[in-house]
Amino acid sequence: MLASLEPLINGILLGGLYAVIGIGLSMIFGIMRQVNLAHGELMILASYLSLVFIQLLGLHPLLTFLFVLPAIFILGYLIQTFLFNRVLEKGMEPYLMISFGLSIILQNAMLLLFTPDARTLQTSLAIKSINVFNLFYVPVIYLVDFVGGFLVLGLLHLIMKKTYLGWAIRAASDNLTAAKLMGINPKKVYALAMGIAVITAAISGVLVGMTFTFYPHSGTQYLIIAFGVVIIGGLGSLPGTFLGGLILGVSQLVGGRIIGPGLQLLSGYIILLIVLTIRPQGLLGRK
Amino acid sequence: MSSNRIRIFAIILLLGTLATLPFWASRYMVSILLLICLYMTLASMWNLLAGYSGLISLGQQMFIGIGGYSLAVLCMYHGLPIFLSLLLAGMISVLLAVLISVPIFRMKGVYFAIGTWIIAEALGICFSNWGYVRYGMGLFIQPAYKLSISTIYYSALVICIGSIALIYFLLRSNLGLALMAIRDDDTASEAMGVNIFRCKFTCFLLSAFITGVTAGVLYLNTIFIQPFEAFGIGWTVKLLFIVIIGGLGTVAGPIVGAAIFVILQQYLSEYVGFNLIIFGTITILVIFFAPKGIVGTFQAKLGLEIFPVRRG
Repeated sequence: MLASLEPLINGILLGGLYAVIGIGLSMIFGIMRQVNLAHGELMILASYLSLVFIQLLGLHPLLTFLFVLPAIFILGYLIQTFLFNRVLEKGMEPYLMISFGLSIILQNAMLLLFTPDARTLQTSLAIKSINVFNLFYVPVIYLVDFVGGFLVLGLLHLIMKKTYLGWAIRAASDNLTAAKLMGINPKKVYALAMGIAVITAAISGVLVGMTFTFYPHSGTQYLIIAFGVVIIGGLGSLPGTFLGGLILGVSQLVGGRIIGPGLQLLSGYIILLIVLTIRPQGLLGRK
Repeated sequence: MSSNRIRIFAIILLLGTLATLPFWASRYMVSILLLICLYMTLASMWNLLAGYSGLISLGQQMFIGIGGYSLAVLCMYHGLPIFLSLLLAGMISVLLAVLISVPIFRMKGVYFAIGTWIIAEALGICFSNWGYVRYGMGLFIQPAYKLSISTIYYSALVICIGSIALIYFLLRSNLGLALMAIRDDDTASEAMGVNIFRCKFTCFLLSAFITGVTAGVLYLNTIFIQPFEAFGIGWTVKLLFIVIIGGLGTVAGPIVGAAIFVILQQYLSEYVGFNLIIFGTITILVIFFAPKGIVGTFQAKLGLEIFPVRRG
């Protein structure tokens, strides 16, 4: 009986990682009312960048953050400045399609550069697990994912509440005209916000790389997970994102236990479609 | 009046050329035009949703997959005639569209795009875990072996011309008028008595039917169907490329776009891996510099429409 807690607990731990996967997408939606379909590819790009630094310098995957995060921040800043900022006022479709085009470009560029082989960011953490009361095992890497997820979300909360940049971002999303009158340059704020959003994506990408194998086309799968998280939690809501991550993680692992591991992703999608049907604005989202 | 006569003459000439193609052209050329016809139809159906009904679907591949698999199962496992199977493939796609319309029409904008995509992905997982259709290994559609390429070509041609004519007359009908009213201002049109849900629902079902049938013909040509390819997002990438390049919300856009896409694909097939990068780059450039696409830009410059859908 107690052994059936295993998928539940592992699902919650995995949910912390899912929350980080979704938070960047949620943030961009909250600030610009746009959806970045290249989110998953930017995440996997960070996994590959980390792999490159591991192979070049022999670093631990978590230490590659020192190189990966600045690089990906600059990339995010440039993407927002040169691509997305140009179509912000033109409604939903151009942004959606440009980010879709970008995701196709990134995905195929990674396929060319890194071949379609399965990769993983190897650590000694990945094979260790903790025995809980002789009843079930919890992989250590899931704990790392959860703690990492919690830290990222907490840090993001502090940035948004305590720093000047956070105030500027919130001002630009609450009342654009007033923010402009106060001397805020919205395009620059958006570019910085995109930089922060892709940093969260990059962190989740490295954690995913340490936990699972990844391929150049894995971005699609994680984009859908990110959607799942923010849709269940409501686009643009920070506590909702955390809750969304937990619900999706638990539903995948518990569902996988019940209907078989091949259908693990499916059970997450079904929960997602049910939430979308009953509450199209998400569980904690506002209309 | 004379411009009208030239137009009719040009259309008759074009139809005559296309109808007699297998008698004088090379097999390669027939296969290229076959692909253009299929992509043109699929893209027109995506355009009917995205360009006229405001429904950006990232899940058209669900109808492509369902249509293809229905055809394969019906004509191979149950021994039904191929053309009956094609028709039934369309019907099954409509059935799927009706089933998912309850949740999917509660979603708006971005949510609709994501919702359709997730349904397609979920179906892909279901089919790859389903022993009846041989899991992820896929099916070889054996009854299609004995079809000649000209039979497949004529089926594609009929569907293509039929669906373009259908869209043209549909857009000139009251439904088309209502769709354009919704696109321009949905609140005002609803106040004038337009039933927004019914208009969009009709387009959704129509698009599902024709996409399902076209997918059937497509897989008669490919012969092999596999879940992750059939339900893959790659289809939407292609359709998006075709419609954006040709011109979103124009009848002629998908025609021009499909021709460019298929020909480009032939030239780029040597550079495996680069072709999708190039398609992605072209899409972004077109959105920046010619957001109305080729047809839309020309129509704005020259002030004439190839398929005028606004009634005088």
